[in-house]
Amino acid sequence: MAQTSVRAVAHHAPPQGFVRKYIFSVDHKVIGIQYLTLSLVAAFVGMALSWAMRVHLAWPDVRIPLLGWLSPAGAPGGVMTPEYYLSLMTMHGTIMAFFVLTAAPFAGFGNFMLPIHVGAADMAFPRLNMSSFWVTFVGFLLACATFFIPDGPPLSGWTAYAPLSAVGPVAGPGQGWGQNLWGLSIAMFCIASLLGALNFIVTTLDLRTKGLKLSRLPLATWGWFIDAWVSLLAFAVLLPTCLLLVLDRLGGTSFFIPGGLVFNDQLQPHSGGSPLLFQHLFWFFGHPEVYIIILPAFGIVSHIMPTFIRKPLVGGWKVITFSEIAVGTLSFVVWGHHMFVSGMSPYMAMVFSVPTLFITIPSIIAVLVWVFSLYGANIRFATPLLYSLGFISLFISGGIGGFFLAQPSTDSYLHATSFVVGHFHFTMGLSAIFATFAGFYYWFPKMFGRMMNEKLGKLHFWITFVGVYCIFMTMQLTGFAGAVRRYSALVDDFMIPLIPANRFMTVAALLTGAAQFIFLYNAIWSRFKGRKAPDNPWGATTLEWDTTSPPPFDNFGGRQLTVYHGPMEYDGEASVMQTSPEASVAGT
Amino acid sequence: MSSNRELTMSSYVGLGVGLMLIVGLEVILTYQHLATRTLLFSLLCLASLEGFVAIMYLMHVKYERRILFWTVFPATLFVLIFLCYFFPDAFRMASMRLLK
Amino acid sequence: MNQSELMIALSELAVATEHEIQMEESPYGIDKKKLGMWIFIVSDACTFGAFLFAYGYMRIGAPVWGTPFGFSSIMNGMVMTAVLLSSSLTMLAAVRAAQSGTKALAEKWLAVTMILGAVFAALHLREWFKLFGEGWRLFYNPTGGAQQFGATFFSVTGLHLTHVVSGIIALAFITRGYNQGHYDESHVETAGLYWHFVDLVWMFVFPLMYLMNAR
Repeated sequence: MAQTSVRAVAHHAPPQGFVRKYIFSVDHKVIGIQYLTLSLVAAFVGMALSWAMRVHLAWPDVRIPLLGWLSPAGAPGGVMTPEYYLSLMTMHGTIMAFFVLTAAPFAGFGNFMLPIHVGAADMAFPRLNMSSFWVTFVGFLLACATFFIPDGPPLSGWTAYAPLSAVGPVAGPGQGWGQNLWGLSIAMFCIASLLGALNFIVTTLDLRTKGLKLSRLPLATWGWFIDAWVSLLAFAVLLPTCLLLVLDRLGGTSFFIPGGLVFNDQLQPHSGGSPLLFQHLFWFFGHPEVYIIILPAFGIVSHIMPTFIRKPLVGGWKVITFSEIAVGTLSFVVWGHHMFVSGMSPYMAMVFSVPTLFITIPSIIAVLVWVFSLYGANIRFATPLLYSLGFISLFISGGIGGFFLAQPSTDSYLHATSFVVGHFHFTMGLSAIFATFAGFYYWFPKMFGRMMNEKLGKLHFWITFVGVYCIFMTMQLTGFAGAVRRYSALVDDFMIPLIPANRFMTVAALLTGAAQFIFLYNAIWSRFKGRKAPDNPWGATTLEWDTTSPPPFDNFGGRQLTVYHGPMEYDGEASVMQTSPEASVAGT
Repeated sequence: MSSNRELTMSSYVGLGVGLMLIVGLEVILTYQHLATRTLLFSLLCLASLEGFVAIMYLMHVKYERRILFWTVFPATLFVLIFLCYFFPDAFRMASMRLLK
Repeated sequence: MNQSELMIALSELAVATEHEIQMEESPYGIDKKKLGMWIFIVSDACTFGAFLFAYGYMRIGAPVWGTPFGFSSIMNGMVMTAVLLSSSLTMLAAVRAAQSGTKALAEKWLAVTMILGAVFAALHLREWFKLFGEGWRLFYNPTGGAQQFGATFFSVTGLHLTHVVSGIIALAFITRGYNQGHYDESHVETAGLYWHFVDLVWMFVFPLMYLMNAR
């Protein structure tokens, strides 16, 4: 096999009009920023929803005037009905899981950085890339539109369990057009993710510059590449799931609806379907999905850490990458642990439980790599590193809960308690958010050519870090005490003693959420008024730091790049750029 | 794999006829009144054979680098094999139904 | 620099400049469009797979399934298979012709492929309308068996039909671009890959949806 191939690369002049430059742009950098902006908006929407829910849980009688305005039926006088609580919860989950956690670390940073990391001028299919974003955008608008239709957003949760999600308006408010729009929105998100994943895979494999062997890929790129494969296979199964759900709803079929089902005293005209089939199909996607969310986080953290600890990760690129591959592969065979109490075959419980415990092994290896790498390092505590360390901490704290939930015996008790909610907020939600923050603080200078304010960054970190522990550790503990998730009020005898804990969580959530405005202020202020960023402010070695901040339209100005080293050439103060022909200092 | 010379157009026509013969065989099998399970198994085997031939020759994988084969097949089969985890519940569904 | 040199320099700035950059070779050694199509096929195969598994699940779980297809429907299905298979061969001929540079011949074979695709779609719809005429619906089984037959049959074959129709549209698009010189033989080859995949899926859909449901 020949080492290199010569390709004619056409360098087009950058687009001039405003629309081609900033809106319907095919430039991966603009698309990356568009994704990040979409996620930022979605994150604040999702956060506002969680605030409303938390306030209602702690003080059920408090009026929230904005909600009363948004939905006079769902929140008469600003006090939400139990159904509207479920609607808010559904949209919080949907918006956060899809449009924030899946979109930001993967599509956002991946789009901006992946082509630069491999030394390419753009993605393999720029126009496909643009359509991915706009399809996601329309999907997001459809999801948000559910708030403004008469019966409001669906109430079946982000998992949209059938038959509740499948029978139609009779199942409650939001189960008419709200659920239809939800299905359509997620189907569009699937298509966009599939096209995006395809683009990432081909770009990584085909557009690497001379000398950039797979063993020299930056670790963030590895994360996105592995993640693209997992997305490609997982979203391919969610798409038919959405289509079949929509057929049940609009076509009158009974894939997911059993016979003899009575909703609101009405016998449903369906027979022979299986709600379990929906759960299987959904979780066949849904479990890989949580790894779709976390794998880019693994990559981003592994990419950022060596820069600030000034040494390569323990085990080089191989250990961390192979544990990511193992996590990605195993993620497809564990989905049944979401279904231990669903009525699934009890024999299958064991079949799913064992690989679930196995998947902790590569996860723990990755954690050990990060932690051991800190040993003897000359650490620079910049905000991106703080967030990376925060990620590791949250991932461990949440991951330990996984052992309880992986076993049918303990899960039977903990299933559908707030223990689960705390667990997945730690492992998937907050870990990915922290890695996204790490990436944001790390790459902001490259993306916008300005440095972010370190003091505000650290303040944001400490409030957020302490705040999320207050919220979700308490949530896990109330789960042990039996608090049922998705209840809109704590009225049962055994849950009344948990009200003070819930008030504590609510206060913590309000404060932690408010701290996000420090971040927003920091980002906006720095974008316009921040210190001008040099090309390589962190003394890093990968290709994105080998171009101007922000990079020109074709990323490297048509230069021939040759890569000589791996991505982790750090030895204390000394470091060697990947493109530098100097001798290696870390032997990677 | 990549060292082999590509088939001529007439060989491809022969291949198409061969595939059609397999389809004919499938139809014949259908009318042998086999047990559903046996019929399903034989049809799936024949269809997989057809699919394999189509991927290797019509879709040209035989003449590409071997790594393409080792990318496409494991990724797809991985998903299709693990989707079989659904079936224990499908069999239970038949016996656990309240309304027959 | 005289005026003509200046003009040349300016024109080079204005239009796209092209130069050569050395890159790592793709591990697959194929065109990136073709690799992209392969990746798409992997994902699409999983989508079809999920539909077929849902069908299997419904069928195993159904107390009475019912097998509606008479011999005439099976024959119709066989003709459809033959048509789609021949269209794969004509597609292959088109790719061959495009690769050897005989553009007119390639376009001719592409046209034949599209016509065969359209015939397939027509036969397909005829089968559908025949079933509609007998009272089959997405949600109704006139023989009194499981109502999932219509749901699974129409959704699986409908998804396949959608692929065929979008394939015809894509081929028409590619043929036009190829004719006008925007596209080259690699585009034809990539479209061919998709077309063969649609054929490949039918090789599973026909035995599973038709033969397994023969009376």
